[in-house]
Amino acid sequence: MATASVSTAGVGTSEQYNYDIIRKFTIMTLIWGAIGMFVGVYIASELAFPFLNFDTPYITFGRLRPVHTSGVIFGFGGSALFATSYYVVQRTCQTRLFGGDGLANFTFWGWQAAIALSALGYMFGYTQAREYAEMVWPIDLLVLLVWVSYLAIYVGTLLNRKQPHIYVANWFYLAFILATALLHIFNNLQVPVKLFSLESYSLFSGTQDAMTQWWYGHNAVGFFLTAAFLGMMYYFVPKQAGRPVYSYRLSILHFWALIFLYMWAGAHHLHWTALPDWTGTLAATFSIMLLLPSWGGMINGIMTLSGAWDKLRTDPVIRFLIVALSFYGMSTFEGPMMSLKDVNALSHYTDWTVGHVHSGALGWVAMITFGSLYHMVPRLWNTPMYSVRLVNVHFWLATIGVLLYITAMWISGIMQGLMWRAFDDFGNLQYSFVESVAAAHPFYVMRAVGGIFFLTGMILMCYNMYKTIRQGSTAAHADLNVAAA
Amino acid sequence: MKHDNIERNLGILLVFTMLAISVGGMVEIIPLFFIKETVEKVDGVRPYTPLEQRGRDIYIREGCYLCHSQMIRPFRDEALRYGHYSLAAESKYDHPFQWGSKRTGPDLARVGGKYSNDWHTQHLTAPRSLVPQSVMPNYPWLAKNELKYDDIQDRMKALRRTGVPYSNSQAEYQRNVEEFGADVAKTLHIPDAEKNLVAQAQLGNYDTDPSNITEMDALVAYLQVLGTMVDFKKYDDDYFVKFR
Amino acid sequence: MMEWMLWFTRFENTKPLSLVIFFLVFCGVLFYLFGSKTRSETLESHKNIPLQDDEI
Repeated sequence: MATASVSTAGVGTSEQYNYDIIRKFTIMTLIWGAIGMFVGVYIASELAFPFLNFDTPYITFGRLRPVHTSGVIFGFGGSALFATSYYVVQRTCQTRLFGGDGLANFTFWGWQAAIALSALGYMFGYTQAREYAEMVWPIDLLVLLVWVSYLAIYVGTLLNRKQPHIYVANWFYLAFILATALLHIFNNLQVPVKLFSLESYSLFSGTQDAMTQWWYGHNAVGFFLTAAFLGMMYYFVPKQAGRPVYSYRLSILHFWALIFLYMWAGAHHLHWTALPDWTGTLAATFSIMLLLPSWGGMINGIMTLSGAWDKLRTDPVIRFLIVALSFYGMSTFEGPMMSLKDVNALSHYTDWTVGHVHSGALGWVAMITFGSLYHMVPRLWNTPMYSVRLVNVHFWLATIGVLLYITAMWISGIMQGLMWRAFDDFGNLQYSFVESVAAAHPFYVMRAVGGIFFLTGMILMCYNMYKTIRQGSTAAHADLNVAAA
Repeated sequence: MKHDNIERNLGILLVFTMLAISVGGMVEIIPLFFIKETVEKVDGVRPYTPLEQRGRDIYIREGCYLCHSQMIRPFRDEALRYGHYSLAAESKYDHPFQWGSKRTGPDLARVGGKYSNDWHTQHLTAPRSLVPQSVMPNYPWLAKNELKYDDIQDRMKALRRTGVPYSNSQAEYQRNVEEFGADVAKTLHIPDAEKNLVAQAQLGNYDTDPSNITEMDALVAYLQVLGTMVDFKKYDDDYFVKFR
Repeated sequence: MMEWMLWFTRFENTKPLSLVIFFLVFCGVLFYLFGSKTRSETLESHKNIPLQDDEI
């Protein structure tokens, strides 16, 4: 390799940045995505065809469901956030990660171990029974260690920046790291049964425990699945479009309004329960206000394309990013609506909630991740994508999958809500509960089919990425220069 | 202060971000621990017996809460289907709470006493033998697995540390006698936990097989106590409204 | 001497107070963002940061 070409092309490569850690997290994003979504399709099928539980404790719905949720949220989403945040912070600060390879590698192995061990644990029945925070207490401690290292790396890198200004994407990532630490600590206050037991009892009980859990649960959505992915959006949308974000001032307003308002909204998960009314009312009020920054952010992202709309036709990666923003806008409209007490009375406890979560998780989180990875991987391995056609196929499979999924859940959810509250002419309940279960069956099948579409797209992506990585190189520009010569 | 500093100075960005994300949670969570009306004053709610608590552990292990709520809302249809709406007091000894968020199956907050032990055992083993349209998994292993209860005292001690009034001394036992009556207080005494657990399982014969104590015994004992502790005939409805 | 603090423990006082505080902060942010032309230009210039890192 000629020294001249390294010195001229070496900027923005492994020479300058720690790309190795990003590559590792990127590969695990793909693997956890495939595993987590496969488990999702499987448990969806269990609800349609219960024989699939096979009378085996380890794969019953109740034990596999947290494997699915933590696999996709923490495995797929979390790894994607580590990868993209390390990429964004290095490139917008023009400096290497703080703490060297050792600390970064610790966050990688610690995080992967936590996900793998907790998934195994759920199958063997070890759970805290707190939704999205089922990890048992020793794993909670491991996650805490990883998270403190992550914060140290992130803050340290920002301190070392060559750029006087911290780009707004980093604010979102930083708020996500801080908020997740806060939520993780206070929602996992547990008293272990004994020192060498994996089981524990939560410190709080009843109402206070419920409020703490849904403060966590909603902000896991707000910060883990929204704020952090908005950080991704603020970097990768402008990058892929080749134009700066629509309004930087709007992004600052977006940031402060979003992180302030989100934290109040959790109690809308507990409308009409034994939680005092004032808490729910306050939460619903803030949920409605949350619509404004959410849509402000969506508009900011979509308008970045203003003047270059033709890219939507020609570039499947842009299409992923913009469709993700559209789903974000749709679910952040649906969410405040469902937080109204009268709507919630119908929608709560039904499949509508499940559909809402997935329009956010598949439509927004997964789509923006796909788009960002399709942008990032060619730059990490110094090669164009193996097949742009497959990216296109993936886009359509994913879009059809999401639409099938949420349509099925809207219908079955509203149907359940209406059947439960239906009275006959004599003032008696019109339907028994199990009639609503039977009526949901066709929609459970349809949901599973939607999931299969989405999973197929994910597997295609893994194949496409595998081929791309095989043809690429991690050496600084080696292959590209050879090819050019 | 010049706002420009916020973007240039990382420390200020960190502090302002922490402030912005802390306010909401503090305002909504901390008062719940101090406002007396949050949890109703009502007679009858007691901590779980050792057998019921082990049943609750199994309920959690199998992830029942992912398909069954334990929180009845104050609507006419729910009152007809499930019974009186749930009180905060009824889950005050629940570590963790099991209100749930989804009803793939029906609410279980007041399932206690509605079905016989035989029905529950049969239903948990093979739900579709009783309810053909059900999508619940079969749980045949519950009736086969012997209940492990050698660590029941550790469990009760851990719960005691969280504030559940299990008694570990004579003084605490006396306090429980005053609060819950002697019959209940005996079941909450940690040194007698194993003895009480075995006695309740043999007397109740929950899994309809008296020869051994299985996980089914514990789980059915738990299900049969759900929602039965408060005697709603003693209160008129206006009494609870003021706590909401 | 701490009597005045009791004023803050009453919901009918703290609700409007917090509303006023939050609203003023919001107005402050708005004024900061859109109030001055030079500052607006400085802020908007930051949006080019991602495009300044070197492309391969």
